[in-house]
Amino acid sequence: MDYIILSVTILGIGIVGLVTKNDLIKMLIAVEMITAAATMNFVVFGSLMEDSLGQAFSILALSVDACVTAVALALAIAIYRKLKIRDVRDLSELKEEPSEEANQMVEEN
Amino acid sequence: MWLEAVLAIGLVTSAVFAIYLKETVASVLSLSSMLVLLSLLYFSLNAPFAAIFQLALGIGTAAVFLLAGDTLTKKSDAKISLKKKVLGLIASILLSIPVIIGTEATKTFTRSLNLSLSSALWDLRAIDVLAQGLVVLTVALGVVFLLKEERRRS
Repeated sequence: MDYIILSVTILGIGIVGLVTKNDLIKMLIAVEMITAAATMNFVVFGSLMEDSLGQAFSILALSVDACVTAVALALAIAIYRKLKIRDVRDLSELKEEPSEEANQMVEEN
Repeated sequence: MWLEAVLAIGLVTSAVFAIYLKETVASVLSLSSMLVLLSLLYFSLNAPFAAIFQLALGIGTAAVFLLAGDTLTKKSDAKISLKKKVLGLIASILLSIPVIIGTEATKTFTRSLNLSLSSALWDLRAIDVLAQGLVVLTVALGVVFLLKEERRRS
């Protein structure tokens, strides 16, 4: 039970960081935290049930986590190289303005 | 019991610091300390395979995040002093010590249980491991193509 509370606490910190921070690297750190909290449950339940399957699952989950981090970091670096920005708010400001035709279609519908 | 309590407090504290510190490098270091503490927690839960994997991946992730943070931050003109370089070297050596100790601890554990990591994974999750290899290779190819395409454009 204690470990579940710990896991939920770290999950909560990660979600708060993901929602409140706008820096790409900070958001990735928050995602890393969320996945660490989720992986912790595999190990904790595996240890409680004295089953090594939990460890096997945690190793698989950690590999997927590393893949997610690699892709996200590559995207962040690509965005920075192209647009020279790290703040996700600047990314949303770069959205294309809807054309007049699109506005008319929305009004018609 | 006290060990788990200390680890839990350290985990939560380093997680909070990782989110709320302004300097990217400092928050990355805080995240890496959180991952090291997490692997210690796994060791205390008698899960040495997961612990050593978490430790290796945590240190690797921290290194990649540090590189990315350095790449994505505006560089100052001041050069890194020799003292900072030596400090970085000492920190990297200190971070690698738990991996070596953990590997040795895992060896004794596997000897006592007559079970190795490879046999545990192959016996329990063989198809998953194969699929995982495919996923990792695909991701590596995707990242290479993504970065190559950006470099070609720039």
